[in-house]
Amino acid sequence: MRRRQIMAMAAGFPAAMAFRAQAQSESGASLTYGQSTAVLTLDPVHGSFTLYPGGYEAALCLYDGLLSFDPSMRIVPQLASSFQMGPDLRSCTLKLRPNVRFQDGTSFDSSAARFNLARLADKQRNPTNRPLWDPVGEVETPDVETVVIHLSRPFSQFPNSLAHASGAMVSPAAVQKYGEAGIAKNPVGAGPYRMVRFDPGQNLEMEAFESYWGGKAKTQRLVFKSISEASTRVSALRSGAVDVVDTVPVSLVAQLKRDPTLRVVTSSSLRPMGFAINLTRPPLADLRVRQALNLAVPVETIASKVFFGYAQAPDSPLAPDTQGYAPVSKLIYDPAKAKSLLTAAGHGPDKPLDLVMYVSSGLFPGDVSVGEVVANELQQVGVRVQITKVESGSYWDALRQDRANLKWDLALFGFNPSNASGLYQLDSLFKSNTDDGARPDVWNIGRYRNPDVDRLLRQAETDPEPAKVAAAMKQAQEIIWHDAPYIWLQINDNVTATRKQVADVQVWPVVFTVLRDAGT
Amino acid sequence: MLGVLAYRLGMMPLIIVAVVTILFIIFQFIPGDEATLVAGATATQSEIRQVRHQLGLDRPILVQYGVRLGELAHADLGYSPTFRGNPLPRILERVPATLLLTASAITLAVVAGVPAGLFAAFFVNGWPDFAISAAVVGLLAVPNFWLGMMLIALFAVQLHWLPSIGLNGPLTLIMPTVALAARLIALIGRITRGVVIEEMRKDYVRTARAKGLSDRVTLVRHVLPNALIPIVTVIGLQTGYLLGGSVVVERLFDWPGIGDLLLTAVGLRDYTLVQGITIIFVVGFLLINLAVELLYRLINPRLR
Repeated sequence: MRRRQIMAMAAGFPAAMAFRAQAQSESGASLTYGQSTAVLTLDPVHGSFTLYPGGYEAALCLYDGLLSFDPSMRIVPQLASSFQMGPDLRSCTLKLRPNVRFQDGTSFDSSAARFNLARLADKQRNPTNRPLWDPVGEVETPDVETVVIHLSRPFSQFPNSLAHASGAMVSPAAVQKYGEAGIAKNPVGAGPYRMVRFDPGQNLEMEAFESYWGGKAKTQRLVFKSISEASTRVSALRSGAVDVVDTVPVSLVAQLKRDPTLRVVTSSSLRPMGFAINLTRPPLADLRVRQALNLAVPVETIASKVFFGYAQAPDSPLAPDTQGYAPVSKLIYDPAKAKSLLTAAGHGPDKPLDLVMYVSSGLFPGDVSVGEVVANELQQVGVRVQITKVESGSYWDALRQDRANLKWDLALFGFNPSNASGLYQLDSLFKSNTDDGARPDVWNIGRYRNPDVDRLLRQAETDPEPAKVAAAMKQAQEIIWHDAPYIWLQINDNVTATRKQVADVQVWPVVFTVLRDAGT
Repeated sequence: MLGVLAYRLGMMPLIIVAVVTILFIIFQFIPGDEATLVAGATATQSEIRQVRHQLGLDRPILVQYGVRLGELAHADLGYSPTFRGNPLPRILERVPATLLLTASAITLAVVAGVPAGLFAAFFVNGWPDFAISAAVVGLLAVPNFWLGMMLIALFAVQLHWLPSIGLNGPLTLIMPTVALAARLIALIGRITRGVVIEEMRKDYVRTARAKGLSDRVTLVRHVLPNALIPIVTVIGLQTGYLLGGSVVVERLFDWPGIGDLLLTAVGLRDYTLVQGITIIFVVGFLLINLAVELLYRLINPRLR
């Protein structure tokens, strides 16, 4: 008997603990979102919501920013009703919306905005997203509804920083109350939803904020659940346990489309994938060789066969929804021409080109398959490719080596400009490094160097005239496209699926599934 | 018995130190640099250097090892970039869910496996025996993640009878328990059958029958207590497997336990978190083994 009691207690205790931890009420209009990445922290600084896109998607419901994006990544007003960049691009003046309250009842005004901008600009407190916030200097508040932000250099993409999800406005009173460390678990913003319960890494429960300046949200209760396993996420949607899931594997989309109770929502991403070419290798410094490598790869086939059509071929170094994008020319698949270019560059059966290819496994969609397809196509034109699959933990490090330790000739890479700015993307990928022998400044890992591109990018950053900026961007894209510092590959779609009756779920090109306006 | 308990508990810190040492050595050889990961993809070289200094990764390896042991003595697992600090509370809050799943799987395995084995032994070489043996082979051959996916496809997606994710009431416990227990049910069924058939041939069984006891009473009163010893041994040996299986099953059913957290930690390359969860798994394994050993002594008078 005694033995049995002990057994019962041993089994009952964890049960009681576990059930209590998960107990939750089911009432009112409610939406549940099964997320591929977890929400771990909810502070725009100190690691900026930690995981992309999971934490940012939650932040877009809890917080408003001064500006925001619409689903096609155009900048729209939010807590600021209007903004104006100074003529020298060294300042930005914002008019704030009146009578806005944070979820703790305190009012949002220019001093609250200044408090938040200072937090974002502080390198100690905010070590992430530095390129977005580094130029922020002094912030003036002439009155409660006006903010003037001074910039340390001309910075045309500053509105993109303000619209970026990390530019979330936090209640200064709440930072005071919970402390710098506590706000990550007790977010208080001026967004349409306020936090009810938060178990980092598992669940985030929110409810509509009654006094939201834009009117109360359509859904009363919003729950974010982390479900990292893709098949589990899709089953949860099909069984009705969740209403929305993100990052649906393209191989499962057809199955979901056949289900009349579901809806598939897609958007094209801003991240053109490609193989960065190591330009420090003598054979690869030859433009003809790089053109040949591009001609040998059937990108349309990769998009339709590897990604079931949920990808497209690029026609510029930027994806079409990126700000500043200008189409240059279509990619051509012509293995015969590739062969003749290689022969002209001195490579043939007796002197073949040997290349080391680095691919990640699991960091990019279909990365290993894409690597195999490309390697196979390159073999067809006589290039010998040795594929190296690099462990995820060391992939970025292997890519961003100093010149002496650069072991690869081709490395799979793609850059997602999270502020939607094409200039930010071209700057990060193609602006000349300060020192090509050292590690790259940002992501110019192949050591591309073209003074004309540098000049055009500088012009795009500092010219106050939008037409001239657009022209400079267009010209820079043309030069880079023809210089072929990459083997250009596909632009993947973001695929989200919802239950049919759920409306207004937005899928932003920057991989965000946005539920702030969603309802049934 | 108290002596054994004291000895085993006394050994535990030593085993933990050994595990930490092995982990420490392994992590020295894993590719990738922790400071680069913590600093983020866009960090400059000086920022990475600063992070390396903050994390103490620029100190000599033996000093780092000493610091690690010192931290552990104060229940500090180190800096986890995922949770921005000591991850121990975050790990411990997930332990009950894993305990619940493991306990429930062991219970199901015993409740289903022992009677199945007895039944098969009772009708040895008859059709119930063949049917049960076939089921045993089937359950052993099926990997738990595949069984779990099939259960979800049938009972959650098609029939809508059972919830497929999370821990939210007794119904959510059913499918993960079955998926996790399947192999153990088969093993217990098989061992029960074998042991019972062997015991039935022994003298005490003949004596029991000779004094007029029915087959059923002989089986339950006399044979089963003797057969329990190898069955408990199997459970003890399989607990490690069960904890390992819980990693896959928890991920599949989005179960909020430490196995799921371990996969998340691996995905995020959070070495501190991986190490912390490994230590918790080891402690759990040691404790369950200790419990099995005590149970062993309870049911086997010769060991007292």
